Amino acid sequence: MSEPRPRLAALAVAVGLVLADSSIVVLALPEIYRDLDTSVAGVTWVLVSFNLVLALTAVPIAHLGRRVGPGRTAAVGLAVFAGAGIACGLSTELGTLIAARCVQALGGAAAVTAVLELLPAQVGSERRAAAIWAAAGATGAALGPAVGGLLTELVSWQSIFLIQAPIAIAAGVPVLAVARHEAATGVISSELRRTGRPHLLANLALAMTSAAIAAALFLLVLLLIEGWRLTPIGAAVVVTVMPLAALLGSRIGPEVAGAKARAAAGAILVSGGLGGLALLPKAEIALTLPPQILVGVGLALVLSALTETALAGRAPQAIHGGWTIASRHAGVAIGLIALTPLFTADIAEQRRDAIASGTAVVLDSPVRPLLKLELSQRLDDRLEDERGKVPRIDPIFEPLPEDPEERDEVVGLRDELQDQLDRGATHAFSPSFGLGAAIGLLALLPIGLARRVEL
Amino acid sequence: MRAADGDRGWLLIALAAVASLALVGAYLAAGGSDYAPAQVQDPCEPREWRDPGSIEEIAEQFSLSALDGAACELGVTRETLARALATPRARERFLRRYDLSDAELARAIRAGLVRAVDDAERAGALSPLLAGPLRETVRRLPLDQAIPLVKDASGLIDEAQGFLGPAQDLLEEFLP
Repeated sequence: MSEPRPRLAALAVAVGLVLADSSIVVLALPEIYRDLDTSVAGVTWVLVSFNLVLALTAVPIAHLGRRVGPGRTAAVGLAVFAGAGIACGLSTELGTLIAARCVQALGGAAAVTAVLELLPAQVGSERRAAAIWAAAGATGAALGPAVGGLLTELVSWQSIFLIQAPIAIAAGVPVLAVARHEAATGVISSELRRTGRPHLLANLALAMTSAAIAAALFLLVLLLIEGWRLTPIGAAVVVTVMPLAALLGSRIGPEVAGAKARAAAGAILVSGGLGGLALLPKAEIALTLPPQILVGVGLALVLSALTETALAGRAPQAIHGGWTIASRHAGVAIGLIALTPLFTADIAEQRRDAIASGTAVVLDSPVRPLLKLELSQRLDDRLEDERGKVPRIDPIFEPLPEDPEERDEVVGLRDELQDQLDRGATHAFSPSFGLGAAIGLLALLPIGLARRVEL
Repeated sequence: MRAADGDRGWLLIALAAVASLALVGAYLAAGGSDYAPAQVQDPCEPREWRDPGSIEEIAEQFSLSALDGAACELGVTRETLARALATPRARERFLRRYDLSDAELARAIRAGLVRAVDDAERAGALSPLLAGPLRETVRRLPLDQAIPLVKDASGLIDEAQGFLGPAQDLLEEFLP
């Protein structure tokens, strides 16, 4: 048997690893989109499929795990997660990648819910176990995008999945001891107590706020990479503001205010941040920072308060933990499914507007007529080559005219055109951010209606 | 103790609301909802000519008027037609997309060129003496000659000057 401390660390890593996977591919999606030659709507399913399967299977697997034994469930879950991760990394087609992601989520659901059953034996109390479990999950989910962005740029998008396999196996080794003990004795570490009803309103609010948070993260990454031409590593640095702000928000605990107040304040901050992202006045990275801070602090407040509420006084923990996992990931999946048609339509409309208004700007400019038509065509080709990504348009103006007067005219036109395209790209995301803000505000309804939310 | 907890809870909610409203208000004030794509003008609407100072300026506005006229005939925007005429490949793509023949495109471009001559005459940029022969010239142009004229109308002016031959000096007098 392993010593308790390494085993506790291994269990926390397992939870963090699985829940990081719900967001780790966000920054890799543009790369996968181009590499596998698919559509924006298609590539979204790399993210949606994982969250959807996790949402649908978390509770049934938690029930199964309680019968089979949490040690064995966690060990098998981590092995499946690792194997499916390798399959994801070796995928050369979108269909195979999505199928492997579904299997990965199945293994992940088994591992995460079983760990919640194993943790109390390591830390001495269910309440402390729930806190460690929630913190490990939040840390993983918060770090996921940044780690994914780094790996995508430094190695490849495939490495995001391949690197998970050895980590999952390493985390599974200490769990094997518990599994062997269960197999040898037939005794499982958790009693089969009667399952109480889940906290409906807390779980509903969790789903709604998770949908809004997913919108914030997913859309912001797409805006940064596709709209503002940042590299994955650059976008990873920018979106790291959100988890850093979440760390700050996690310091506002039960000693500051009750769960209901923290949940309501968190939902308001998430909506306010999304509202700010919907109203970005310019295409400038600095302007994304205040909204990210609000979303980050808000998500830490609302997710922890609602998870505490959903688990408080309810047994068995694994089942109710499974409900919180199901609610959060159903929210993420539904949010992405609902937003995808909206923002893909907006991006397509923005592309049409960009081409038309870009050409209008060129034609109305004071440069020579022949040059105007040439520039219009080069702009069209450049937008075509970039497949919807807003391009840097400097190359279409090269070489600049030698005549100083004409050069000034062309440089002025170039800057005006780039500004027009950047603002158009930013504006294309506004309705989706706005919808995310509205969903976040709607979560105030179940939060307000919940009676027993104070711990 | 419970009352104090409640007060802190309300304070936290109020702080969150103030921070959110301040951010949204600041971004609105900075023009967060002001974006509108550059306007694409209806090509069938008359386009105002700037006071032309040289043959190059007349030629530029002539090109734009010709694009407007042809685009209006075809029921597309001037911007779409401008991109379509830039290269033979773009032209083929355009004809396929709008299910048009070369003859229909040629007819539209000739109509556009006639409108450009009309606009130039109306703006006082071309005298009636020059406008008449120009109108007749463009009405008979084949497609492969009409497209370059839309792109660079100064060639058309030169052609008209050549057409007038000995009346060259007289023509210059009619130019503003």
